[in-house]
Amino acid sequence: MSEESSTLADIPGLVRIENTGKEELTARCVELTHAVYLHHQVYGQYCTIHEYVDCPAEQAYDYLSKGHHLEEWTCSLRDFAPTGTPGLWAGRDRLEDDTRIYCRVLASPEAMTVDYHCSWDQGDKLWMIYLMRVVPASLVLDRPGSVITWTNCRHPYYDDNPYPGLAPRPDRPWVGDYWDLFYAGHTVEMRNLKAILEHRHRSGLPIGSAPSRRVAR
Amino acid sequence: MTTVSLTDVAAYLPGEPVPAEFYTRYPGAEDKLRDHPMFRVPPSRHHVARDETNADLVERAVQPLIERHGRAAIRGVDVLLVHSQLPDLPFVGAGTEVARRLGLNPEWLVDVANAGCASFVYMLKMARQILTSSDARSALICNAQSAAGQWFTQSEVRRLAQAAVPGDGCGVGYVTTSARSPVLDVETRHIGEYAGDMTLAVDDGRKYWEPGRSQLRIGFTGAGVARVLARGNRLVPEVITDLCRRLGVPSTDIDVLITNQPNRTFLRNWREALRLPPERHLDTFDEYGNLFGAAIPVTLDRAIGSGQVRDGDLTVLGGFAHAGDFAGAVAVRWHGGRD
Repeated sequence: MSEESSTLADIPGLVRIENTGKEELTARCVELTHAVYLHHQVYGQYCTIHEYVDCPAEQAYDYLSKGHHLEEWTCSLRDFAPTGTPGLWAGRDRLEDDTRIYCRVLASPEAMTVDYHCSWDQGDKLWMIYLMRVVPASLVLDRPGSVITWTNCRHPYYDDNPYPGLAPRPDRPWVGDYWDLFYAGHTVEMRNLKAILEHRHRSGLPIGSAPSRRVAR
Repeated sequence: MTTVSLTDVAAYLPGEPVPAEFYTRYPGAEDKLRDHPMFRVPPSRHHVARDETNADLVERAVQPLIERHGRAAIRGVDVLLVHSQLPDLPFVGAGTEVARRLGLNPEWLVDVANAGCASFVYMLKMARQILTSSDARSALICNAQSAAGQWFTQSEVRRLAQAAVPGDGCGVGYVTTSARSPVLDVETRHIGEYAGDMTLAVDDGRKYWEPGRSQLRIGFTGAGVARVLARGNRLVPEVITDLCRRLGVPSTDIDVLITNQPNRTFLRNWREALRLPPERHLDTFDEYGNLFGAAIPVTLDRAIGSGQVRDGDLTVLGGFAHAGDFAGAVAVRWHGGRD
């Protein structure tokens, strides 16, 4: 412990109970607490949303981890098919005409995280990364079902398309132009996800569906 | 329906300004918290003299009203409402003493003990109700705050970060049946759920009037500072937004907003929540500290005197009390120029 303390002592700016009284800690937190926050303060660099879903966590995770279901719950991702690269799928983002989207799913069953590594126009550098996590609601809300969180980080490419030459046409709007609508757009999609999962779970139907195109083996 | 106006306001600040050093240089003073907006020490505040009472403060504060409207008009008020932040006596309110000093003979006299820092709003609502539903033609509403120089200067309390924030002062309003500066609407709510969360801390467990050695402090029960902060953050913007909705205007149409002034954090948060620029949310915090219930009329008086309230301004006065057991806001179309 003393070793840790001596290491920490070299780090400026730490606020810990050892150097900050309880009342001072409260006062600091009060200063940081506003009654309202502007959209860009909350969603300007990171966009995290969350939703309760009345569907068991394992099934929600399983559904998300199968990438072809993006065609069901997202607003505009469609027509995914395997590419020549294992694990990499390509589809259309119907948000814009003639726009290809590439996607790879990295899922971790223990943590129930599902990360979609995506990109418009090319599949070599997947930088549009959608980080999702399923948490059993019994743990965090003391009720059956799941809590699903979803985070996007504002990669610099959102502000500046690194491959403008790959756009289907010069005037095709860039995905990053929509950043300020991500909270809203992702909320709409999260509600789709909730509706699908809850409908199928409640009706005793299979939660997932078969991919329209087979995986290349 | 009879239109009721907030015809005029006046204020009194006792004694000479007391500098921040009165607290910050006091032996054993809690200094760590002073860097934070919640406890930032106002550079200046006023303290009542040891023998100065609530009635004294009101008597002084009313003098400019007598000068501007005539002694007969003030003596003729039908309604007297008095809120004393720190009553001088148990049992007896300051109201009848105020009536005696000023030679009033009001049909309606109420010593208001609720609505704390927003009691000016509540008294304006009561005065308006009485003036619209009876023969009464005018009212005097008074907020006296005398805790800073008495309570918060006790030898042990004076060390606490909370002690350096309050200031003493008195603000009064003259309310008449007139259309000059009409009270457009009032929104108030008592919130029983939060009653009792603000208490007197008496370390030896005695009742405040029983003999003992411990010094009275203001305390908050288990609800704690964080919950009071959350309530305050929510209540004041909420009640003002509801008032604006009833008036049919967005909060951004408010020309002058004056609230109670517990600390800089609340002032910042309320202004942000209502999307008002700082220059339209007026306060006297740096000069007079937290004036509790007197903050609203004192700040309004100063703002009118300095020309910060212009003819025709939509003026909104609002705040919350104690640990959140009351919130209220009132809108006035100001045409009460003193030229």
